[in-house]
Amino acid sequence: MTRFFARLLAAFAVLGAAPAMAQPVDTGHLVAELVARDQSIAPGATTYVALRQKIDKGWHTYWRNSGDSGEATRIAWTLPAGWTAGDIVWPAPTRQPTGPLMNYGYQGEVLLPVPVTAPADAKPGQSVTLKAAATFLVCEEICVPEDAVLTLSLPVVEGLAEPNPAWSGPIAKALSDAPTPAAFTSVFAKQGTTLALAITGQALKGADVSQAYFFPFDSTVIDHAKPQVIERGPDGLTLTLTPGYAFQEGDGPKAMAGVLSLGDKAYEIGATAGAPPPGASGLGAPPSKAVGGGGGALGLPLAAAFAFLGGLILNLMPCVFPILAMKAASLAGHAHERRVAQGQGLAFLAGVLATFLALAVALIAVRAGGAAVGWGFQLQSPPVVAGLALLMLAVALNLSGVFEVGSSLQGVGTGLAGKRGMAGAFFTGALAVVVAAPCTAPFMAPALGWALTQSAPAAITVFLALGLGFAAPFALAAFVPGLLTRLPKPGPWMEGFKKLMAFPMYGAAAWLVWVLTIQAGNTALARIFAAAVVLALAAWLLGVAQHRRAQGGKPLALAGIGGALAVVAALAAVWPSYGEPQAASSAAAEGGTANVPYEAYSPEKLAAAQAAGKPVFVNFTAAWCVTCQVNEKVALTSQGVADAFKQTGAVYLKADWTLKDAVIEAELAKHGRAGVPLYLVYGAKGGEGVILPQILTEGLIVRALKDAQGR
Amino acid sequence: MSIHRPFALAAALTLIAAAPVLAAPAVGQLAPAFTAKDGEGKTRSLAEFKGKTVVLEWTNAGCPYVQKHYGAGNMQGLQKDAVKDGVVWLTLISSAPGKQGYVSPAQAKTWKATTGAGSTALLLDPGGQIGRAYEAKTTPHMYIVDKTGKLIYMGGVDDKPTADHASLKGAKNHVAAALGDVKAGRPVATAVSRPYGCTIKYAE
Repeated sequence: MTRFFARLLAAFAVLGAAPAMAQPVDTGHLVAELVARDQSIAPGATTYVALRQKIDKGWHTYWRNSGDSGEATRIAWTLPAGWTAGDIVWPAPTRQPTGPLMNYGYQGEVLLPVPVTAPADAKPGQSVTLKAAATFLVCEEICVPEDAVLTLSLPVVEGLAEPNPAWSGPIAKALSDAPTPAAFTSVFAKQGTTLALAITGQALKGADVSQAYFFPFDSTVIDHAKPQVIERGPDGLTLTLTPGYAFQEGDGPKAMAGVLSLGDKAYEIGATAGAPPPGASGLGAPPSKAVGGGGGALGLPLAAAFAFLGGLILNLMPCVFPILAMKAASLAGHAHERRVAQGQGLAFLAGVLATFLALAVALIAVRAGGAAVGWGFQLQSPPVVAGLALLMLAVALNLSGVFEVGSSLQGVGTGLAGKRGMAGAFFTGALAVVVAAPCTAPFMAPALGWALTQSAPAAITVFLALGLGFAAPFALAAFVPGLLTRLPKPGPWMEGFKKLMAFPMYGAAAWLVWVLTIQAGNTALARIFAAAVVLALAAWLLGVAQHRRAQGGKPLALAGIGGALAVVAALAAVWPSYGEPQAASSAAAEGGTANVPYEAYSPEKLAAAQAAGKPVFVNFTAAWCVTCQVNEKVALTSQGVADAFKQTGAVYLKADWTLKDAVIEAELAKHGRAGVPLYLVYGAKGGEGVILPQILTEGLIVRALKDAQGR
Repeated sequence: MSIHRPFALAAALTLIAAAPVLAAPAVGQLAPAFTAKDGEGKTRSLAEFKGKTVVLEWTNAGCPYVQKHYGAGNMQGLQKDAVKDGVVWLTLISSAPGKQGYVSPAQAKTWKATTGAGSTALLLDPGGQIGRAYEAKTTPHMYIVDKTGKLIYMGGVDDKPTADHASLKGAKNHVAAALGDVKAGRPVATAVSRPYGCTIKYAE
């Protein structure tokens, strides 16, 4: 009976006092309000009351450790006698970079739940008023301290509390999403100027740790603004941090607590000083999160298949076309001597595979050394580009008939020439791979992106699959009898064809010189041209010497001078090192002729444009990347695309990877890529970027921009 | 031996040249050297104050945390006490033009006069080079350089990281304590603390 009476009273209270009532307060840059999980509370029970901050766009409030500056939100409670309020259950924060500094906090809307406990002798039927004086710093670029006195009336009711329909869901979610202490072993050790934080635990085995970030509770233990480098291990991960002020005094702190965020999940950890366990490292950087068809989700068989396909398609890309045309001509030359053709096909295959293997090993070694490099890395070095330009010129001069390599033309069919032909085919294969680097074919990018985050054997397997795909058409052609006989018969036309093929090679040399001037400025131009003229002279002298020898002479001096000049030219092209380009001659400044104005990419600019509610198109490109250049000329500068940019208000950012750039490299890796091109479209409403295909068309970009406007 | 000397010399030179670039400022290390114009247009440098204890204070008049210390005369009091003891007090502004806290030389003079600041000089660092060299993060952010040019304190003004004016009462003032240690010839007890306040509005 009493029970019934209490309920009746409670019902009246609910009707009369209006349960869990509160008034939101606009403090200037946010609206603050107390919201309750339940409509009422039973004597002795605990409920959650949250401080809700609805923050103005572009502004943020702070986490318990605000980072380099700022101040955490605080709540001072005034409660009836016997009532208690606990600490704020902080949701995992997000990073709020400001210039060179880093803050931790919240944007948009945040719920800060606090447990509130009623005393056992609370009287059912009564309604209590919970009063919270909340103070918080709200910052955009400038900061404003704001405060609000908020109240919430909560009826005391016997029995189970009714959930508050508006807020029980969001508060329950805030509580379940909040970082909770995890059964991890966390150890940190200061190693010179870095601080290794090793975290191991069952839940971390095989977890996606590509977004891992450590938010310390104490603001003095790490330098917040420095990047946190992630390395995976079989049992967990290691974050390489930069020690903060606390490590300047004595031995530094003995314990370090905070939140380990993995992006979608966050754990509370308490690390102690000690030796990091071996299981926390050793597997390299994490594979990137799979975003819109990125490489993260690929397994080895699929990656190898993609690489094979990519290699096949690479044959159709403009970079290798002149060399393959030469190869085709040579194949035609032997079309009617099957054994020679087959031998050369295999030698070509060997040349391709050996070069891909060498490239893969070099790439893995350089990356193991800590350098940020990816596919095409060799072309980021001006001496290599200069050397390649001269090599192209030498090949072109050879094709033009200025000089001979060996004496392949005279001795077709003899045993000796067969062997020389083998060496030539091997060399052609190697050359084809070297010049293929500027071109990335469809399917190749995800495979290589995946490969570079894997163990060395897996990475090498993918590279070899790429090589197999690349060499397959020519290697196989030699073994398909019907195909060989269909090729035109060798004859005088071949000499003409060879001379014709010299011109694409001259073009390739000219293009590499253009790349070089973007990398090293106009002063490099004089040097490379001087080297080219000397090389041409050397080639001519060698040619004359070869001609005289053919007539029975012994033109040793001539050959010697020619050889010496060739060496001088090659040396002059690669040493001493090239200077920095003048700002005005960089590729980014040059593209102003395009219809769409763009800005150089930086993560801050991207964030700023997203904050302004604009769609963003990011073009990861390089002067040496032919695929990129073709896309820019064919699709990106078309009128339709320019109009679409105007209509959607989209921001065009260009990330130029012509020279080494760790920021761009990291951004590529984040999307599972090891090289350019990469095209990303970010929606107007924020969120992750969508990856566009590597071969762009006007319609595709226009559609992507329109989609982005509403996303 | 003589063969190695040029190499060792070159290595040493390289180290010396690289040191100011690589090293983050740290207590016990030499404070980064700098020159800057004051409100009068005069070029001042850290080097000219060698042999004296120098306090560096980063400020931004628009920042609520700076206002806490200046509004109640707390910072001015500290400055006057320090200068009376022969300490050099340099107030620096690293706000970029167009950003909060930036002042022209004329505005700098006015600000110094109206706040009644007791500092030796107000230095302008609109490009933010000095701030970045010291890795100054907040306003206020405090550094103390000893007579030999070494950093002996870096961090906050006190131990109450809030903009609430009432917090000045009962706060442990780290700068006053450190200067007291210097005066008494003791090593600085609290040499590092958490700087707090507004983000310095550096140039992009």
